[in-house]
Amino acid sequence: MHGLRLIFQHEIAKIFKDKSMIFGFFVLPILSLMITVGISVIRPTTTQAEEYTLYFYGINMDRLNIGELDEKQIYVVSVTEEPAVFMQSESFHKYDVLVDFSDLHNVNIYYHEEDTISSYLKSTADSFVREIYSELFRGRHPDISFRKVVAEDLNKKEDDNRLIAMLLPYMLILPLTANISNFASDSIAGEKQRGTFYQALLSPVSPLSLIMGKIWSVSLISLFSSGIYIGLDVLGSKLCEANGWEDVFGFAGIKVSTAEFLLILLYALLLCYLFSNLGILISLFCKNANQAQIAQLPVTLACTMAAMLAMFRFGTSPILHYLIPVYNICIVFQDVLHSRVKLANMMMVAISLFVMAFVLLAITLLSYRSEKVTE
Amino acid sequence: MITIEHLKKTFKKNKVEAVKDVSLEVNDGEIFALLGPNGAGKTTTMRMLSTLLIPTSGKITYDGKDINEDLLAVRRRIAFLTNEIRLDGQFTPDELANYYGRLYEMEESQIKKNKEELFEYFGISEFSQRRYETFSTGMKQKTSLAICLLHDPDTIIFDEPTNGLDILTQQLIEKYILRLKQEGKCIILSTHILDLVSRLADRVGVIVDGRSVYCGNVSDLASSQNVSTIDEAFVKLYEENHVEQAIITKK
Repeated sequence: MHGLRLIFQHEIAKIFKDKSMIFGFFVLPILSLMITVGISVIRPTTTQAEEYTLYFYGINMDRLNIGELDEKQIYVVSVTEEPAVFMQSESFHKYDVLVDFSDLHNVNIYYHEEDTISSYLKSTADSFVREIYSELFRGRHPDISFRKVVAEDLNKKEDDNRLIAMLLPYMLILPLTANISNFASDSIAGEKQRGTFYQALLSPVSPLSLIMGKIWSVSLISLFSSGIYIGLDVLGSKLCEANGWEDVFGFAGIKVSTAEFLLILLYALLLCYLFSNLGILISLFCKNANQAQIAQLPVTLACTMAAMLAMFRFGTSPILHYLIPVYNICIVFQDVLHSRVKLANMMMVAISLFVMAFVLLAITLLSYRSEKVTE
Repeated sequence: MITIEHLKKTFKKNKVEAVKDVSLEVNDGEIFALLGPNGAGKTTTMRMLSTLLIPTSGKITYDGKDINEDLLAVRRRIAFLTNEIRLDGQFTPDELANYYGRLYEMEESQIKKNKEELFEYFGISEFSQRRYETFSTGMKQKTSLAICLLHDPDTIIFDEPTNGLDILTQQLIEKYILRLKQEGKCIILSTHILDLVSRLADRVGVIVDGRSVYCGNVSDLASSQNVSTIDEAFVKLYEENHVEQAIITKK
């Protein structure tokens, strides 16, 4: 542990003593933030809705225009799906309203209380139901009662986090793989190139301490660097929200509890560890940082592909998908943000990650004494 | 004391037999020079001695203990300095000394004492707070030497210690090597400079084509080959043994 701690501290200090790091860590993310905010400012503000819909269940009627709100038409549309099922579907947006007409004496109106448009549409639905009720039954059933049912928070939350759930794997994995490739290549292959690796090899530190010290320093520094990017994106979202600009960052309205945040952080850390170990392993066999970076390109590309595939994944995934490296972490991030975490899936991912970490570490330690490393 | 018995190293990658059969012995308080032409296997032998490479066969012992028994304990007792060894440029000599001292599990007071002494001797004290990357080649070499010796090793392995250095730095390093000898350290140095061997070394080992062909006192080298200088003796040893190898290969 003594050697591991010293090597870890030394590696971190080495990175921070490099002046180019200040640019990579702080200046570059700020520049990136400024450019993205700029794009947000010059783009015209648009809302996602083209029209508003009052969905009716339990009554058949043709699509009907019943007025307008903010220059958008309000339509009444019949649905055949059960209210509970329909509200979970993509069709039911946060400002839409669902009227359950199946019980003629107790009409339920589902809406999103926090959304001002939805609340307004609820009143419109209320008036419309009273109107058609009297028209349909001509006073024969005057004892109608209304139950205003607020749509479940779960649905609302999923909607709020939908964009970020789609973007997060990509937003996290892209800077992570880039950073890790950079730091891991420099950590051993770069040291070989500069001639500083021999001193470490000659020191009385166990291979495990040396390798782990390097892996953890690369992992944490890469996570920290990626955290700066994401932190600035959150700041960008807040800026856009405060100024009424379109949020191009995807963090507006995000709702993540502390437990969920910690869960994401834990899996991100595991991901960092795996990438770093792989990076260090590749770096061990390369003669210089350039060669190591080229050798790591396929890994970076494969990880980016996995993140992109996860971006366009909707709904739940088969349990076997939770065994696919990198992709499984991406879908865990999405599950956490969609609040559909299943213990079995999480365990599956955790076990597969630990097995991979163990195997990679074993290979790295075996490779450490290889002639390719010490020649 | 170091003993090497029938050391052999074949690189797996290209199947090159860099060291075929090297045996020698180095005592405490002596300077042992390893001589040989380019590609003879000196550096590979030095790397095996310093624990960087694992021998294919043969045995290396430090004070009777096999090197593989406790690799980390051996590393605590040795220092290896080559021209290839560099230190992290972002750090100052002071920071590097503290880091390596702690890595060798030295007491803070001991680090401070050894650091001050070595920095003073090599003239690094006034630059101890400057980044290593800003130093000249000579200053870098002196700093590397000071850091390598910080943990007060019993055995010091030098591979071409004065290569590419100005005469002042060469003399400073030579004097320090003699001082280490007086302190009873076991010193092995590999060099092409035969003058340096005659000035510093007590005993010499000659390696030709991966085999040790001579091991004895420097003063006896010339007479053992019936020549007048060690330069002639070295050339003679090389020609005899290299030709012999060529004949063996032909056969």
